[in-house]
Amino acid sequence: MTTTTIDPPAAAAARRGLSDRGWYWLFVAPALIAMVVFYIWPLVQIFGISFTEPEFGLGNYAALVESRPIQTSLVITFRVAAVTTLLCLVLGYMVSYAIYNAQHRMVGVMLALVLLPFWISVLIRSFAWIVLLGRSGVVNDSLIALGLIEKPIAMMHNEFGVVLAMVHVMLPFAVLPMMANMKGINRAYVDAARGLGASEFGAFWHVYLPQTKPGILSAALLVFVLSLGFYITPALLGGGRVLMISEYITYQIQELLRWGVGSMLSVTLLVMTAVVILAAARFVNLRKALLERG
Amino acid sequence: MTDRSRFTGPMPATDDDEFRRDLGEIALEKFRSGRIDRRGFLTALAAIGVAPALGNKAFAAASEIIVCNWGGAAIDAVMAAWGTAFEAESGIPVVVDGSGPSAGKIRAQVEAGAVVWDVCDSGAGSSLILRDQGVTQEIDYSIVDKSKVLEGFAFSHGVTNYYYSYVMAWNPMLTGGKAPADWAEFFDTEKFPGKRTFRKSVRGMLEPAAMAMGIAPEEVYAFLGTEEGLAAAIEKFRSIRDHVIVWSSGSASQQLFLQEEVSMGCIWNTRGQLLLNEMPAGSFDMKFNATLAPGVWVVPKNNPAGSEAAMKFIRFSQEPAGQVVLLEMMGNGPANPEASSAVPEGLRPYNPSSPENRATQITYSWDWYGANQIRAEELYVDALIN
Amino acid sequence: MKRPSFFRIFMNTGAWLVLAFLILPMLVVIPVSLTDTSYLAMPKEALSLRHYENYFSDARWLDATWQSFYIGVLTALSATVLGTVFSIGCWFLSSRASTIARWVLITPILVPPVVQSLGFYRFWVQLGLIDTVTGVVLAHTLLALPYVSISVFAALANLDRKIPQAARSLGASVPQTVWAVVVPAARPGILTGAVFAFIVSFDEIVGVLFITVRKVQTLPKMIWQGIQDNIDPTIAAVATLLVLATLVLMLAGSLRKT
Repeated sequence: MTTTTIDPPAAAAARRGLSDRGWYWLFVAPALIAMVVFYIWPLVQIFGISFTEPEFGLGNYAALVESRPIQTSLVITFRVAAVTTLLCLVLGYMVSYAIYNAQHRMVGVMLALVLLPFWISVLIRSFAWIVLLGRSGVVNDSLIALGLIEKPIAMMHNEFGVVLAMVHVMLPFAVLPMMANMKGINRAYVDAARGLGASEFGAFWHVYLPQTKPGILSAALLVFVLSLGFYITPALLGGGRVLMISEYITYQIQELLRWGVGSMLSVTLLVMTAVVILAAARFVNLRKALLERG
Repeated sequence: MTDRSRFTGPMPATDDDEFRRDLGEIALEKFRSGRIDRRGFLTALAAIGVAPALGNKAFAAASEIIVCNWGGAAIDAVMAAWGTAFEAESGIPVVVDGSGPSAGKIRAQVEAGAVVWDVCDSGAGSSLILRDQGVTQEIDYSIVDKSKVLEGFAFSHGVTNYYYSYVMAWNPMLTGGKAPADWAEFFDTEKFPGKRTFRKSVRGMLEPAAMAMGIAPEEVYAFLGTEEGLAAAIEKFRSIRDHVIVWSSGSASQQLFLQEEVSMGCIWNTRGQLLLNEMPAGSFDMKFNATLAPGVWVVPKNNPAGSEAAMKFIRFSQEPAGQVVLLEMMGNGPANPEASSAVPEGLRPYNPSSPENRATQITYSWDWYGANQIRAEELYVDALIN
Repeated sequence: MKRPSFFRIFMNTGAWLVLAFLILPMLVVIPVSLTDTSYLAMPKEALSLRHYENYFSDARWLDATWQSFYIGVLTALSATVLGTVFSIGCWFLSSRASTIARWVLITPILVPPVVQSLGFYRFWVQLGLIDTVTGVVLAHTLLALPYVSISVFAALANLDRKIPQAARSLGASVPQTVWAVVVPAARPGILTGAVFAFIVSFDEIVGVLFITVRKVQTLPKMIWQGIQDNIDPTIAAVATLLVLATLVLMLAGSLRKT
C-alpha cells in the first residue's frame, strides 16, 4: 500500500504554528515515548545485565553450551510449545470449520463459547485444572467412585497436565485467526470439486484445506510464540519438573539471585521468539496476524 | 558498583533467607497454643533480671530499635517474644520491619549511607558474606553472652538467634501405616510407593540423599565435598525423579501434604508442626533426622540506634523465656541451650534444638554451600527435570 | 437435503467436543465453591454458602478486589486515552514511520511475561515505584496499550479519509476535527479497547508478582498466593463469582449489540 499524505491548507497550519503532521506526531508521541522509556528501555537493561553481571563478558552465555539443565529446559519449552500448537491447530480447526461450514443455527452460540474462556483469567483456569486433575481431584474421585480405576492416576505435576491446561488457554488464539481466514474463503471451489465428483472429504482435503493454509499458519505462529513464554500454567501444574524456560528464569533469580543468568535466559527467550516470528514472516502475513488482529 | 546491583546485585544465596521469609507466612493463630500470657511473661522476664543492664546513658539516647525480619506472623512473634518486654524494661520501643533483610538489601543500605535497621534476622552463610564485604559490625561479646549459644554458633559478625530443621515427614495413611525407618527407606520407591516432595532448591536436600546411601551423618559433608560423592547424591534423585514433586515455598510443601498429593517429603519443621495440627490424627508424622540450621542476628554498620543498643537487644533476646515464646509461636528452636528445660513438656519432641533432636541431626554447613551451591543446584535441577 | 456425510458429522461432533472441553472445566469451580467441606471437594451432604461468606467477610479478599478494580479502572483510563490518541495520530500519518510506531506499541503482546516483568522490576527499583499503585498502573497501562491501539485502529479502518479533510478545509483546527469527526468514528474501538485494558489489568499476575511486595495486593495475587499457600474452596467461590460476572457481562454485551 502506498502512503497517502493528507495535505491540509498550509496557511492555516502556519497560523497555528504547528503543521498538521506535527499535530499527528504530537498525538503519537505520549504513548510511543511511554512505551520506549518504560518498556523498551527496561528490556534493553535486561539485555545489558546479561553481559555485565556478575562480570563483563559472555560468561552467562557460556551456560547455554555448558549447562545441561538449561538445555533440557529449552528442549522442554520447545516440546511443550510444539505439542500445544499442534493440538490447538487440530482441535481449533474443527471448531472454526464447524462454525463456518456447518450452516446450522448454533453458529452464534459456538462463537460465544469460543470467546468465553478468553475473558476468564489463566489463573482461574489453572485453578480449575488443579481442582480437576489433583490426586484427590474431581476426575480421580469420580473415576474411583465409578469403579473404573482403583488408585488415582497422576494427571497433574507432569507434562500431561501442563499441555492440557495450555491447550485450553491457547485454543481461542488458534480458532480466531483460522476463523478470520475461513470467513474470506469462497466455497465455489469446493462446490466445483464436489460437482466434478469428489467426495466431501476429498474436496476438503484437496481444495479447502490448502485455501485455509494462511489461517493455519497465523494460528500456529500466534500459539507457538505465546506458548514459548508461558509461566503461570507450568508453574502451577508442572510440579517443578516441567521446567519451562520462564519458570527457570524466575528460579535463577528468586532462588539463586543469579540475575546474570536469568537475564541471559530472558534474552535467549526473546531472541528465540523473534527468530520464530521472522522465520514465520515468509509464510505468514505478519501485519494481518499480529498488528491488525481484532 | 553500579547503582542497580546495589539493590538487587548478585549475592550468593548460601543460606536460607527463604526459610526466614517462610516463618513470616506461617499463620500465627494455628500455632499459638494460648499459653502465652503477656503479663505473666513480663513478670518472668523481670525476675530473670535482665533489667539492670539496660539503664545507661548512651543506651537511653536510642529512640527506638528497628528489628528487620521476614514479615507476616513473624512480626507478631518477635514482638511477643522480645519487643514488648524489651520496651517495658528499657523504655525503648521496638519496631519490627518485615521487609526482609536479604544480604543484598543490607549491603545496599550500608553503601548508600542510609541504614534503617538495627538488628537483622539473617543466616550463618549470609553473615559470613556480609562480614567479608565489611558491611556488618563485629558482635560485642562483652555485652552479648557467648555462653548462651552453642559452641560454634557465635560468629564474629553474627550470633545465632534460633534454629530450624529439615525433617523427614510422611503421611502414614498413604504409606500403609508404615514409617520410613531411615532415609534409605525414604528413597525406596518399591517399599514406599507414592510421591515424595523435595525442595525446588538443592539446599537441605543433598544431606538426606547422602544418608540414604549409608553415609554416616558426620561424614555427609566430607562425602558431598568429593566429586563422586556429589554425583552419587544427585544420582539418587535422578533414580526416583518420576516420584518427585518439588516445593518452592514452605506453604507449598504444606499444601502438598494437605491435598494428599504426596505421601512423604523433606520439609521444614515449622511447616511440619502446622501439619501435625492441621491434618487428621494419624495422617502426619515427622522425624528430626536430617539437617539443623541456625537463624543469625547481624547488625549493619552505622545502625541508627547505635552499636550498644543493638547489642543489648541481642543480649536481651538470649534469655530463654522469649526463645520459648518463639518456639511456641513459630516452631523455631531456642538458640540458648538453657532454654531447653524451659520448653513445655508437650513441645519438647518438636523443638529442633532440643538435646535429643540435636543428637539425630547434622548441622547445615554454610561452608559447603558457599563453595558448592551454584554447581550443586545445576546438577540437582538437571536430575529432577524430565 | 442430503444425508450429512461421515466427514461432516465427524467435524461437527469434534467441534462440539472441543467446545465442551473449553467450557466445562471452568464450570467445575461452581459446585466446588458450594461444597460443605473445608477442603476442595464436591459437596458431600449439602450445599453451603460458607465459602462465599468467607470471601465477603474477609477484609483481605475485599481489599484486594477493590484494589484490582481501581487499578483496572485507572489503567483503562490511561491506556484508553494514550492509545486512542496514538492510533488517531497513526491513522492520519499513515506512513512507514507510523507503522513502525504501531509495531513498537504492540511489543508487549509478544514479549514473554516473565521477561518484561524482570525489566519492570529492575527499572521500577531505580524509579522507586516498587510496591506502589502508580507502579502497577504504569506497568498495566503499557501492557494494555497494544489492545487499545489495535482495536481503535481497526475501528478507524472504516472512516473515510475525506471526511476529516473536509472538516479541515472548512477551517476546523486539527484538535477540533479529531474531536468532532474522528473520535466519534472510533468510539466502538475505544469502548472495546477500554474493556480490554480493564481486563488485562484485572487479570494480570506475573507483573504484580515482581513489582509489588505487600502494600499492593491484587485479586490475582491473592488467588496465586491462595493456590500456593492454602488451597481452600474460597478461591473456588472467587473464581465462580468471576466466571458468573463474565457471563453476565458477555450476555449484556451481546444483548446490546442485537
